Amino acid sequence: MTLLRDLTIKNFREGLLAKKYSALEIAQAFFSYIKDTDPKIHAYLNLNEKEALQQAEAADVKIAKGEELGTLAGVPLAIKDNMLMKGSPATAGSRILERYISAYDATAIAKLKAEGAVILGKTNLDEFAMGSSTENSAFGPTKNPHDHSRVPGGSSGGSAAAVASSMAIAALGSDTGGSIRQPAAFCGVVGMKPTYGSVSRFGLIALASSLDQIGPFARTTEDAAILFNAIRGADPMDATGDPNASYGPDLTNPDLTAMRGLRVGLPEEYFVGDGLSSEVAAGVDSVVDTLQRAGIKTKKISLPHTKYALSCYYIILPAEASSNLARFDGIRFARIPGVQDGNATLADIYQKQRGTGFGPEPTRRIILGTFVLSSGHYDAYYDKAQRVRALVKRDFDEAFKDVDVILTPVTPTTAFKLGEKADDPLAMYLSDIFTIPVNLAGLPGVSIPVRNISGLPVGFQLIGKPFREADILGLGRLYESLIR
Amino acid sequence: MSSPIDKKTLEHLTQLARIELSAQQEEKLLRDLGKILGHFEELNEVDTTAVAPLAGGTTFMNAFRGDGERENQLHGAGTENFPERSSTFLKIPPVFE
Repeated sequence: MTLLRDLTIKNFREGLLAKKYSALEIAQAFFSYIKDTDPKIHAYLNLNEKEALQQAEAADVKIAKGEELGTLAGVPLAIKDNMLMKGSPATAGSRILERYISAYDATAIAKLKAEGAVILGKTNLDEFAMGSSTENSAFGPTKNPHDHSRVPGGSSGGSAAAVASSMAIAALGSDTGGSIRQPAAFCGVVGMKPTYGSVSRFGLIALASSLDQIGPFARTTEDAAILFNAIRGADPMDATGDPNASYGPDLTNPDLTAMRGLRVGLPEEYFVGDGLSSEVAAGVDSVVDTLQRAGIKTKKISLPHTKYALSCYYIILPAEASSNLARFDGIRFARIPGVQDGNATLADIYQKQRGTGFGPEPTRRIILGTFVLSSGHYDAYYDKAQRVRALVKRDFDEAFKDVDVILTPVTPTTAFKLGEKADDPLAMYLSDIFTIPVNLAGLPGVSIPVRNISGLPVGFQLIGKPFREADILGLGRLYESLIR
Repeated sequence: MSSPIDKKTLEHLTQLARIELSAQQEEKLLRDLGKILGHFEELNEVDTTAVAPLAGGTTFMNAFRGDGERENQLHGAGTENFPERSSTFLKIPPVFE
Protein backbone atom coordinates (compact mmCIF):
# COMPACT_ATOMS: atom_id res chain seq x y z
CA MET A 1 0.00 0.00 0.00
CA THR A 2 1.22 3.45 -0.86
CA LEU A 3 1.97 5.46 2.25
CA LEU A 4 -0.07 8.63 2.47
CA ARG A 5 2.90 10.53 3.85
CA ASP A 6 4.95 9.80 0.73
CA LEU A 7 2.38 11.26 -1.64
CA THR A 8 2.97 14.49 -3.50
CA ILE A 9 0.72 16.00 -6.16
CA LYS A 10 3.38 14.96 -8.69
CA ASN A 11 3.89 11.30 -7.70
CA PHE A 12 0.20 10.79 -6.86
CA ARG A 13 -0.65 11.49 -10.48
CA GLU A 14 2.04 9.11 -11.73
CA GLY A 15 0.67 6.35 -9.51
CA LEU A 16 -2.89 7.13 -10.57
CA LEU A 17 -2.05 6.95 -14.27
CA ALA A 18 -0.03 3.75 -13.73
CA LYS A 19 -3.15 2.32 -12.02
CA LYS A 20 -1.25 1.58 -8.79
CA TYR A 21 -4.39 2.83 -7.02
CA SER A 22 -7.64 4.58 -7.81
CA ALA A 23 -8.52 8.13 -6.73
CA LEU A 24 -11.40 6.67 -4.70
CA GLU A 25 -9.10 4.27 -2.80
CA ILE A 26 -6.77 7.12 -1.90
CA ALA A 27 -9.63 9.43 -0.87
CA GLN A 28 -11.07 6.68 1.34
CA ALA A 29 -7.66 6.04 2.85
CA PHE A 30 -7.33 9.74 3.69
CA PHE A 31 -10.75 9.86 5.41
CA SER A 32 -9.95 6.76 7.41
CA TYR A 33 -6.58 8.24 8.44
CA ILE A 34 -8.14 11.63 9.28
CA LYS A 35 -10.75 10.02 11.54
CA ASP A 36 -8.00 8.18 13.34
CA THR A 37 -5.49 11.02 13.61
CA ASP A 38 -7.39 14.29 13.70
CA PRO A 39 -8.87 13.92 17.20
CA LYS A 40 -5.27 14.46 18.40
CA ILE A 41 -4.45 17.37 16.04
CA HIS A 42 -7.78 19.11 15.33
CA ALA A 43 -6.73 20.35 11.89
CA TYR A 44 -10.21 20.01 10.38
CA LEU A 45 -13.39 21.84 11.35
CA ASN A 46 -15.62 19.88 9.01
CA LEU A 47 -15.22 17.09 6.49
CA ASN A 48 -16.63 17.05 2.98
CA GLU A 49 -16.71 13.26 2.69
CA LYS A 50 -19.75 12.65 0.52
CA GLU A 51 -18.83 15.21 -2.13
CA ALA A 52 -15.12 14.30 -1.98
CA LEU A 53 -15.80 10.63 -2.73
CA GLN A 54 -17.95 11.70 -5.69
CA GLN A 55 -15.12 13.92 -6.93
CA ALA A 56 -12.70 10.99 -6.61
CA GLU A 57 -15.03 8.68 -8.51
CA ALA A 58 -15.38 11.28 -11.23
CA ALA A 59 -11.59 11.30 -11.64
CA ASP A 60 -11.53 7.49 -11.86
CA VAL A 61 -14.29 7.51 -14.50
CA LYS A 62 -12.30 9.98 -16.60
CA ILE A 63 -9.22 7.77 -16.39
CA ALA A 64 -11.23 4.66 -17.33
CA LYS A 65 -12.68 6.46 -20.34
CA GLY A 66 -9.31 7.86 -21.34
CA GLU A 67 -10.58 11.44 -21.11
CA GLU A 68 -8.33 14.43 -20.58
CA LEU A 69 -7.52 14.97 -16.89
CA GLY A 70 -7.26 18.23 -14.99
CA THR A 71 -3.91 19.10 -13.42
CA LEU A 72 -5.28 18.15 -9.98
CA ALA A 73 -7.36 15.12 -10.95
CA GLY A 74 -8.14 13.11 -7.83
CA VAL A 75 -5.72 15.09 -5.63
CA PRO A 76 -6.98 15.18 -2.00
CA LEU A 77 -6.79 18.75 -0.69
CA ALA A 78 -7.72 20.63 2.49
CA ILE A 79 -9.17 24.16 2.44
CA LYS A 80 -8.96 26.85 5.11
CA ASP A 81 -12.45 27.46 6.46
CA ASN A 82 -12.61 31.09 5.34
CA MET A 83 -13.21 30.21 1.69
CA LEU A 84 -16.70 29.58 0.40
CA MET A 85 -17.61 26.18 -1.01
CA LYS A 86 -21.22 25.98 -2.14
CA GLY A 87 -23.47 24.06 0.26
CA SER A 88 -20.79 23.72 2.96
CA PRO A 89 -20.14 25.67 6.16
CA ALA A 90 -17.60 28.51 6.16
CA THR A 91 -17.20 29.46 9.79
CA ALA A 92 -14.00 31.53 9.52
CA GLY A 93 -13.35 30.03 12.97
CA SER A 94 -16.04 32.27 14.45
CA ARG A 95 -19.18 31.66 16.45
CA ILE A 96 -20.91 34.40 14.47
CA LEU A 97 -20.76 32.23 11.32
CA GLU A 98 -21.31 28.88 13.04
CA ARG A 99 -24.57 28.31 11.19
CA TYR A 100 -23.67 29.92 7.89
CA ILE A 101 -23.82 27.78 4.74
CA SER A 102 -21.88 29.03 1.70
CA ALA A 103 -24.10 30.24 -1.12
CA TYR A 104 -21.50 29.91 -3.87
CA ASP A 105 -17.97 28.73 -4.67
CA ALA A 106 -15.00 31.04 -4.18
CA THR A 107 -13.17 31.49 -7.49
CA ALA A 108 -10.14 29.58 -6.14
CA ILE A 109 -12.43 26.66 -5.17
CA ALA A 110 -14.19 26.72 -8.56
CA LYS A 111 -10.77 26.52 -10.23
CA LEU A 112 -9.72 23.55 -8.06
CA LYS A 113 -12.95 21.76 -8.93
CA ALA A 114 -12.43 22.48 -12.63
CA GLU A 115 -8.99 20.81 -12.38
CA GLY A 116 -10.57 17.72 -10.82
CA ALA A 117 -9.41 18.14 -7.21
CA VAL A 118 -10.92 16.14 -4.32
CA ILE A 119 -11.76 18.48 -1.43
CA LEU A 120 -11.48 16.56 1.83
CA GLY A 121 -12.71 19.27 4.18
CA LYS A 122 -12.30 22.67 5.74
CA THR A 123 -9.51 23.44 8.18
CA ASN A 124 -9.19 25.32 11.44
CA LEU A 125 -7.97 28.90 11.69
CA ASP A 126 -7.72 31.82 14.05
CA GLU A 127 -11.06 33.60 14.12
CA PHE A 128 -11.41 35.58 10.86
CA ALA A 129 -7.73 34.76 10.20
CA MET A 130 -6.67 37.02 13.08
CA GLY A 131 -3.82 35.37 14.91
CA SER A 132 -0.56 33.48 14.69
CA SER A 133 -1.34 30.26 16.55
CA THR A 134 -4.94 29.08 15.79
CA GLU A 135 -5.59 29.57 19.52
CA ASN A 136 -8.08 32.27 18.55
CA SER A 137 -10.39 29.77 16.84
CA ALA A 138 -13.81 29.68 18.51
CA PHE A 139 -13.71 25.91 18.02
CA GLY A 140 -10.48 25.17 19.90
CA PRO A 141 -6.82 25.23 18.85
CA THR A 142 -4.99 23.00 16.40
CA LYS A 143 -1.89 21.19 17.70
CA ASN A 144 1.49 21.15 15.99
CA PRO A 145 1.95 17.62 14.54
CA HIS A 146 5.65 17.68 15.53
CA ASP A 147 4.89 18.40 19.20
CA HIS A 148 1.31 18.40 20.44
CA SER A 149 2.12 20.84 23.25
CA ARG A 150 3.02 23.51 20.69
CA VAL A 151 1.04 25.69 18.30
CA PRO A 152 1.02 24.98 14.55
CA GLY A 153 1.19 28.73 13.86
CA GLY A 154 -1.57 30.68 12.26
CA SER A 155 -3.83 31.81 11.10
CA SER A 156 -3.88 28.94 8.54
CA GLY A 157 -2.71 26.48 11.23
CA GLY A 158 -5.24 23.79 10.31
CA SER A 159 -4.12 23.66 6.67
CA ALA A 160 -0.43 23.57 7.64
CA ALA A 161 -1.02 20.83 10.23
CA ALA A 162 -3.15 18.80 7.79
CA VAL A 163 -0.34 18.72 5.22
CA ALA A 164 2.37 18.15 7.85
CA SER A 165 0.49 15.20 9.37
CA SER A 166 -0.41 13.64 5.98
CA MET A 167 -4.13 14.37 6.38
CA ALA A 168 -4.07 16.02 2.91
CA ILE A 169 -1.54 16.04 0.07
CA ALA A 170 -1.70 19.81 -0.16
CA ALA A 171 -3.95 22.65 1.01
CA LEU A 172 -5.06 26.22 0.53
CA GLY A 173 -4.63 28.96 3.10
CA SER A 174 -4.83 32.73 3.10
CA ASP A 175 -2.05 35.12 4.04
CA THR A 176 -2.62 38.69 5.22
CA GLY A 177 0.53 39.20 7.30
CA GLY A 178 2.15 35.76 7.32
CA SER A 179 -0.81 33.43 7.83
CA ILE A 180 0.47 30.90 5.28
CA ARG A 181 4.24 31.31 5.68
CA GLN A 182 4.44 31.34 9.49
CA PRO A 183 2.44 28.08 10.03
CA ALA A 184 4.32 26.50 7.11
CA ALA A 185 7.57 27.27 8.93
CA PHE A 186 6.25 25.97 12.29
CA CYS A 187 4.93 22.74 10.73
CA GLY A 188 7.78 22.04 8.30
CA VAL A 189 5.92 22.37 4.98
CA VAL A 190 6.13 24.70 1.99
CA GLY A 191 3.70 27.65 2.04
CA MET A 192 3.47 30.53 -0.40
CA LYS A 193 1.80 33.93 -0.35
CA PRO A 194 1.49 34.90 -4.02
CA THR A 195 1.82 38.42 -5.43
CA TYR A 196 -1.13 40.64 -4.52
CA GLY A 197 -3.50 40.48 -7.48
CA SER A 198 -2.47 37.06 -8.80
CA VAL A 199 -5.19 34.95 -7.12
CA SER A 200 -8.84 36.06 -6.99
CA ARG A 201 -10.15 36.96 -3.55
CA PHE A 202 -13.78 36.42 -4.60
CA GLY A 203 -15.35 34.11 -2.03
CA LEU A 204 -12.56 34.55 0.51
CA ILE A 205 -14.02 36.00 3.72
CA ALA A 206 -12.19 39.32 3.76
CA LEU A 207 -9.86 40.32 6.59
CA ALA A 208 -7.83 43.21 5.14
CA SER A 209 -8.64 43.61 1.48
CA SER A 210 -5.40 45.35 0.45
CA LEU A 211 -3.27 42.60 2.02
CA ASP A 212 -5.17 39.27 1.69
CA GLN A 213 -4.06 36.60 -0.79
CA ILE A 214 -4.96 32.93 -1.12
CA GLY A 215 -2.01 30.58 -1.57
CA PRO A 216 -0.83 26.95 -1.46
CA PHE A 217 0.59 24.66 1.24
CA ALA A 218 2.47 21.61 -0.04
CA ARG A 219 5.28 19.18 0.75
CA THR A 220 7.52 20.41 -2.07
CA THR A 221 8.03 23.64 -3.98
CA GLU A 222 7.08 21.73 -7.14
CA ASP A 223 3.66 20.87 -5.68
CA ALA A 224 3.21 24.47 -4.48
CA ALA A 225 3.84 25.64 -8.04
CA ILE A 226 1.30 23.18 -9.48
CA LEU A 227 -1.35 24.25 -6.97
CA PHE A 228 -0.64 27.97 -7.40
CA ASN A 229 -0.80 27.57 -11.18
CA ALA A 230 -4.27 26.01 -10.82
CA ILE A 231 -5.78 28.84 -8.75
CA ARG A 232 -4.11 31.97 -10.19
CA GLY A 233 -5.50 34.26 -12.86
CA ALA A 234 -7.51 37.45 -13.22
CA ASP A 235 -11.20 37.19 -12.37
CA PRO A 236 -14.04 39.51 -13.40
CA MET A 237 -15.30 39.21 -9.80
CA ASP A 238 -12.14 40.72 -8.26
CA ALA A 239 -11.24 44.25 -9.31
CA THR A 240 -7.73 43.90 -7.84
CA GLY A 241 -6.73 40.95 -10.01
CA ASP A 242 -4.05 42.08 -12.43
CA PRO A 243 -5.03 41.10 -16.00
CA ASN A 244 -1.50 41.92 -17.18
CA ALA A 245 0.13 39.32 -14.94
CA SER A 246 1.82 36.71 -17.09
CA TYR A 247 3.51 33.49 -16.17
CA GLY A 248 5.68 31.30 -18.36
CA PRO A 249 6.39 27.56 -18.32
CA ASP A 250 9.25 28.25 -15.88
CA LEU A 251 6.66 28.53 -13.08
CA THR A 252 6.06 24.78 -12.92
CA ASN A 253 9.14 23.66 -14.81
CA PRO A 254 12.11 25.80 -13.73
CA ASP A 255 15.51 25.65 -15.37
CA LEU A 256 17.68 24.85 -12.36
CA THR A 257 20.84 25.91 -14.18
CA ALA A 258 19.34 29.35 -14.77
CA MET A 259 18.38 29.50 -11.07
CA ARG A 260 22.08 29.38 -10.19
CA GLY A 261 22.39 32.77 -11.87
CA LEU A 262 19.90 34.49 -9.57
CA ARG A 263 21.33 37.21 -7.32
CA VAL A 264 20.18 36.71 -3.73
CA GLY A 265 19.92 39.60 -1.25
CA LEU A 266 20.34 39.17 2.51
CA PRO A 267 18.72 42.14 4.32
CA GLU A 268 20.74 43.03 7.40
CA GLU A 269 17.61 44.14 9.32
CA TYR A 270 16.31 40.54 9.32
CA PHE A 271 19.43 39.01 10.83
CA VAL A 272 20.04 41.27 13.83
CA GLY A 273 18.30 41.89 17.13
CA ASP A 274 17.68 39.81 20.18
CA GLY A 275 14.39 38.47 18.82
CA LEU A 276 16.00 35.98 16.43
CA SER A 277 16.53 32.61 18.11
CA SER A 278 19.76 30.68 17.65
CA GLU A 279 17.98 27.67 16.06
CA VAL A 280 16.38 29.82 13.41
CA ALA A 281 19.57 31.78 12.76
CA ALA A 282 21.57 28.55 12.40
CA GLY A 283 18.96 27.03 10.07
CA VAL A 284 18.85 30.04 7.77
CA ASP A 285 22.66 30.30 7.78
CA SER A 286 22.87 26.69 6.62
CA VAL A 287 20.63 27.52 3.65
CA VAL A 288 22.76 30.54 2.71
CA ASP A 289 25.84 28.32 2.96
CA THR A 290 24.29 25.61 0.75
CA LEU A 291 23.33 28.15 -1.91
CA GLN A 292 26.74 29.86 -1.83
CA ARG A 293 28.51 26.54 -2.23
CA ALA A 294 26.35 25.90 -5.29
CA GLY A 295 27.83 29.06 -6.80
CA ILE A 296 24.96 31.44 -6.09
CA LYS A 297 25.99 35.04 -5.51
CA THR A 298 24.63 36.58 -2.32
CA LYS A 299 24.76 40.22 -1.34
CA LYS A 300 24.10 42.09 1.88
CA ILE A 301 21.31 44.61 1.37
CA SER A 302 19.32 47.00 3.56
CA LEU A 303 15.56 47.45 3.94
CA PRO A 304 15.72 50.38 6.37
CA HIS A 305 12.00 50.72 7.20
CA THR A 306 11.58 47.05 8.24
CA LYS A 307 11.43 48.10 11.88
CA TYR A 308 8.27 50.15 11.29
CA ALA A 309 6.35 47.55 9.27
CA LEU A 310 4.72 45.95 12.31
CA SER A 311 3.16 49.17 13.63
CA CYS A 312 2.17 50.16 10.12
CA TYR A 313 0.47 46.79 9.58
CA TYR A 314 -1.38 46.80 12.90
CA ILE A 315 -2.95 50.13 11.99
CA ILE A 316 -3.88 49.29 8.39
CA LEU A 317 -5.14 45.77 9.12
CA PRO A 318 -7.60 46.68 11.92
CA ALA A 319 -8.81 49.67 9.89
CA GLU A 320 -9.70 47.46 6.93
CA ALA A 321 -10.95 44.62 9.15
CA SER A 322 -13.30 46.87 11.14
CA SER A 323 -14.90 47.85 7.86
CA ASN A 324 -14.98 44.31 6.38
CA LEU A 325 -16.43 42.76 9.53
CA ALA A 326 -19.25 45.31 9.78
CA ARG A 327 -21.31 43.03 7.53
CA PHE A 328 -21.49 40.34 10.21
CA ASP A 329 -24.48 41.67 12.09
CA GLY A 330 -26.20 38.48 13.22
CA ILE A 331 -28.90 39.08 10.63
CA ARG A 332 -27.75 38.39 7.09
CA PHE A 333 -25.35 35.53 7.72
CA ALA A 334 -27.45 33.42 10.08
CA ARG A 335 -28.03 34.14 13.75
CA ILE A 336 -26.04 32.75 16.66
CA PRO A 337 -28.16 30.29 18.56
CA GLY A 338 -28.94 30.97 22.20
CA VAL A 339 -28.52 34.76 22.24
CA GLN A 340 -31.58 36.32 23.81
CA ASP A 341 -32.92 39.06 21.59
CA GLY A 342 -36.37 39.39 23.21
CA ASN A 343 -38.41 42.18 21.66
CA ALA A 344 -35.21 43.82 20.62
CA THR A 345 -34.77 46.54 18.05
CA LEU A 346 -32.42 46.04 15.14
CA ALA A 347 -29.67 48.00 16.92
CA ASP A 348 -30.01 45.77 20.02
CA ILE A 349 -29.66 42.64 17.91
CA TYR A 350 -26.50 43.98 16.26
CA GLN A 351 -24.93 44.87 19.61
CA LYS A 352 -25.78 41.55 21.25
CA GLN A 353 -24.99 39.30 18.29
CA ARG A 354 -21.67 41.01 17.61
CA GLY A 355 -20.79 41.24 21.30
CA THR A 356 -21.40 37.50 21.72
CA GLY A 357 -20.32 36.33 18.27
CA PHE A 358 -16.86 37.89 18.02
CA GLY A 359 -14.08 36.55 20.23
CA PRO A 360 -11.50 38.77 21.98
CA GLU A 361 -9.10 39.21 19.03
CA PRO A 362 -11.66 40.32 16.39
CA THR A 363 -13.22 42.58 19.03
CA ARG A 364 -9.83 44.12 19.80
CA ARG A 365 -9.07 44.72 16.13
CA ILE A 366 -12.54 46.05 15.28
CA ILE A 367 -12.31 48.60 18.12
CA LEU A 368 -8.72 49.47 17.23
CA GLY A 369 -9.69 49.90 13.57
CA THR A 370 -12.69 52.01 14.46
CA PHE A 371 -10.38 54.20 16.56
CA VAL A 372 -7.64 54.74 13.95
CA LEU A 373 -10.27 55.67 11.36
CA SER A 374 -12.27 57.93 13.66
CA SER A 375 -12.45 61.69 13.32
CA GLY A 376 -9.51 63.39 15.01
CA HIS A 377 -7.24 60.31 14.90
CA TYR A 378 -7.26 59.39 11.21
CA ASP A 379 -4.26 61.53 10.23
CA ALA A 380 -2.11 60.52 13.18
CA TYR A 381 -2.65 56.79 12.65
CA TYR A 382 -4.22 55.60 9.39
CA ASP A 383 -2.82 58.23 7.05
CA LYS A 384 0.59 58.01 8.73
CA ALA A 385 0.60 54.22 8.37
CA GLN A 386 -0.21 54.41 4.66
CA ARG A 387 2.74 56.76 4.15
CA VAL A 388 5.06 54.41 6.02
CA ARG A 389 3.67 51.58 3.88
CA ALA A 390 4.85 53.49 0.80
CA LEU A 391 8.34 53.64 2.32
CA VAL A 392 8.36 49.91 3.10
CA LYS A 393 7.46 49.20 -0.52
CA ARG A 394 10.08 51.69 -1.75
CA ASP A 395 12.76 49.81 0.21
CA PHE A 396 11.93 46.63 -1.71
CA ASP A 397 11.77 48.47 -5.06
CA GLU A 398 15.28 49.81 -4.44
CA ALA A 399 16.63 46.44 -3.30
CA PHE A 400 15.26 44.65 -6.38
CA LYS A 401 17.39 46.88 -8.60
CA ASP A 402 20.41 44.89 -7.41
CA VAL A 403 19.05 41.46 -6.53
CA ASP A 404 16.44 39.04 -7.93
CA VAL A 405 15.39 37.29 -4.74
CA ILE A 406 15.60 38.21 -1.04
CA LEU A 407 16.31 35.50 1.55
CA THR A 408 15.24 35.91 5.20
CA PRO A 409 14.02 33.91 8.20
CA VAL A 410 10.23 33.36 8.31
CA THR A 411 9.78 33.58 12.05
CA PRO A 412 12.00 34.77 14.93
CA THR A 413 11.55 31.45 16.79
CA THR A 414 10.39 27.88 16.23
CA ALA A 415 6.82 26.89 17.24
CA PHE A 416 5.96 28.20 20.69
CA LYS A 417 3.95 26.45 23.40
CA LEU A 418 0.15 26.55 23.45
CA GLY A 419 -0.90 29.33 25.80
CA GLU A 420 2.55 30.93 25.87
CA LYS A 421 1.49 34.17 24.15
CA ALA A 422 -2.28 33.87 24.36
CA ASP A 423 -2.72 36.68 26.92
CA ASP A 424 -0.30 39.15 25.38
CA PRO A 425 -1.53 40.38 21.99
CA LEU A 426 1.58 42.46 21.35
CA ALA A 427 3.92 39.49 21.90
CA MET A 428 1.77 37.46 19.50
CA TYR A 429 1.90 40.25 16.89
CA LEU A 430 5.71 40.27 17.08
CA SER A 431 5.88 36.68 15.78
CA ASP A 432 4.99 38.06 12.33
CA ILE A 433 7.74 40.68 11.97
CA PHE A 434 9.52 38.93 9.07
CA THR A 435 6.41 38.17 7.03
CA ILE A 436 4.39 41.40 7.34
CA PRO A 437 6.56 43.64 5.11
CA VAL A 438 5.93 41.31 2.15
CA ASN A 439 2.15 41.84 2.41
CA LEU A 440 2.52 45.60 2.80
CA ALA A 441 4.55 45.67 -0.43
CA GLY A 442 2.27 43.20 -2.28
CA LEU A 443 5.16 40.84 -3.10
CA PRO A 444 5.31 37.04 -3.41
CA GLY A 445 6.97 35.18 -0.54
CA VAL A 446 7.47 31.49 0.11
CA SER A 447 8.39 29.65 3.30
CA ILE A 448 10.45 26.52 2.71
CA PRO A 449 11.59 24.03 5.37
CA VAL A 450 15.32 24.00 6.16
CA ARG A 451 16.54 20.45 5.52
CA ASN A 452 18.84 18.30 7.63
CA ILE A 453 18.23 19.87 11.01
CA SER A 454 17.23 18.21 14.24
CA GLY A 455 14.49 19.44 16.53
CA LEU A 456 11.49 21.54 15.58
CA PRO A 457 11.05 22.69 11.97
CA VAL A 458 12.64 25.94 10.81
CA GLY A 459 11.64 27.77 7.64
CA PHE A 460 13.44 30.20 5.39
CA GLN A 461 11.67 32.80 3.31
CA LEU A 462 12.35 33.73 -0.31
CA ILE A 463 10.80 37.02 -1.43
CA GLY A 464 10.49 37.77 -5.14
CA LYS A 465 9.68 40.59 -7.50
CA PRO A 466 5.97 41.07 -8.32
CA PHE A 467 4.63 38.12 -10.36
CA ARG A 468 8.03 36.34 -10.21
CA GLU A 469 6.81 33.35 -8.19
CA ALA A 470 8.86 31.34 -10.73
CA ASP A 471 12.09 32.75 -9.18
CA ILE A 472 11.31 31.97 -5.55
CA LEU A 473 9.80 28.54 -6.23
CA GLY A 474 12.59 27.71 -8.72
CA LEU A 475 15.33 28.70 -6.29
CA GLY A 476 13.54 26.69 -3.60
CA ARG A 477 13.52 23.71 -5.90
CA LEU A 478 17.22 24.11 -6.53
CA TYR A 479 17.78 24.10 -2.75
CA GLU A 480 15.67 20.94 -2.40
CA SER A 481 17.71 19.29 -5.16
CA LEU A 482 21.01 20.22 -3.48
CA ILE A 483 20.00 18.53 -0.21
CA ARG A 484 18.49 15.15 -0.72
CA MET B 1 2.60 58.39 28.13
CA SER B 2 -1.12 58.07 28.76
CA SER B 3 -3.27 56.04 26.39
CA PRO B 4 -5.25 58.05 23.86
CA ILE B 5 -8.25 55.79 24.58
CA ASP B 6 -10.04 56.31 27.90
CA LYS B 7 -13.22 54.67 29.13
CA LYS B 8 -15.45 57.32 27.56
CA THR B 9 -13.74 57.02 24.15
CA LEU B 10 -14.03 53.23 24.33
CA GLU B 11 -17.76 53.45 25.00
CA HIS B 12 -18.14 55.72 22.00
CA LEU B 13 -16.14 53.27 19.86
CA THR B 14 -18.19 50.24 20.94
CA GLN B 15 -21.32 52.20 19.99
CA LEU B 16 -19.88 52.99 16.57
CA ALA B 17 -18.77 49.38 16.06
CA ARG B 18 -22.10 47.98 17.38
CA ILE B 19 -20.43 45.65 19.87
CA GLU B 20 -21.82 45.20 23.37
CA LEU B 21 -19.10 44.47 25.92
CA SER B 22 -19.13 43.56 29.59
CA ALA B 23 -17.33 45.77 32.12
CA GLN B 24 -14.58 43.14 32.42
CA GLN B 25 -14.09 42.98 28.67
CA GLU B 26 -13.86 46.77 28.54
CA GLU B 27 -11.21 46.83 31.23
CA LYS B 28 -9.01 44.23 29.49
CA LEU B 29 -9.49 45.96 26.15
CA LEU B 30 -8.42 49.33 27.58
CA ARG B 31 -5.21 47.79 28.91
CA ASP B 32 -4.40 45.98 25.62
CA LEU B 33 -5.18 48.99 23.45
CA GLY B 34 -3.02 51.25 25.61
CA LYS B 35 -0.06 48.92 25.11
CA ILE B 36 -0.63 48.50 21.37
CA LEU B 37 -1.14 52.22 20.71
CA GLY B 38 2.00 52.91 22.75
CA HIS B 39 3.96 50.70 20.36
CA PHE B 40 2.66 52.73 17.40
CA GLU B 41 4.42 55.84 18.77
CA GLU B 42 7.57 54.65 16.95
CA LEU B 43 6.02 55.72 13.64
CA ASN B 44 6.53 59.35 14.69
CA GLU B 45 10.27 58.80 14.17
CA VAL B 46 9.67 58.44 10.43
CA ASP B 47 9.60 61.59 8.31
CA THR B 48 6.75 61.10 5.86
CA THR B 49 6.18 64.69 4.78
CA ALA B 50 7.32 64.04 1.20
CA VAL B 51 5.65 60.63 0.86
CA ALA B 52 2.21 59.99 -0.66
CA PRO B 53 0.02 57.43 1.16
CA LEU B 54 -0.04 53.95 -0.42
CA ALA B 55 -3.51 52.41 -0.22
CA GLY B 56 -2.71 49.02 -1.72
CA GLY B 57 0.18 46.66 -2.29
CA THR B 58 0.07 47.41 -5.97
CA THR B 59 0.25 50.51 -8.10
CA PHE B 60 -2.26 48.88 -10.44
CA MET B 61 -5.48 50.88 -10.25
CA ASN B 62 -8.52 48.81 -11.20
CA ALA B 63 -9.40 45.81 -13.34
CA PHE B 64 -12.53 46.77 -15.19
CA ARG B 65 -14.99 44.15 -16.40
CA GLY B 66 -16.26 44.36 -19.94
CA ASP B 67 -19.40 46.52 -20.01
CA GLY B 68 -21.73 43.93 -21.47
CA GLU B 69 -24.91 42.05 -20.71
CA ARG B 70 -24.44 38.98 -18.53
CA GLU B 71 -26.63 36.66 -16.59
CA ASN B 72 -26.41 36.84 -12.79
CA GLN B 73 -25.91 33.28 -11.61
CA LEU B 74 -26.10 34.22 -7.96
CA HIS B 75 -29.50 35.91 -7.78
CA GLY B 76 -31.10 35.09 -4.43
CA ALA B 77 -28.07 33.10 -3.27
CA GLY B 78 -27.51 33.51 0.45
CA THR B 79 -31.15 34.15 1.34
CA GLU B 80 -31.34 30.63 2.79
CA ASN B 81 -29.19 31.91 5.65
CA PHE B 82 -31.73 34.54 6.71
CA PRO B 83 -33.12 33.71 10.16
CA GLU B 84 -36.57 34.98 9.16
CA ARG B 85 -37.80 35.77 5.70
CA SER B 86 -40.75 36.41 3.51
CA SER B 87 -40.12 34.93 0.03
CA THR B 88 -36.67 36.30 -0.84
CA PHE B 89 -36.93 39.25 1.57
CA LEU B 90 -35.16 39.40 4.90
CA LYS B 91 -37.51 39.98 7.83
CA ILE B 92 -36.10 42.25 10.52
CA PRO B 93 -37.41 43.93 13.67
CA PRO B 94 -38.47 47.59 13.50
CA VAL B 95 -35.61 49.95 12.76
CA PHE B 96 -37.33 52.83 14.58
CA GLU B 97 -38.98 52.44 17.95
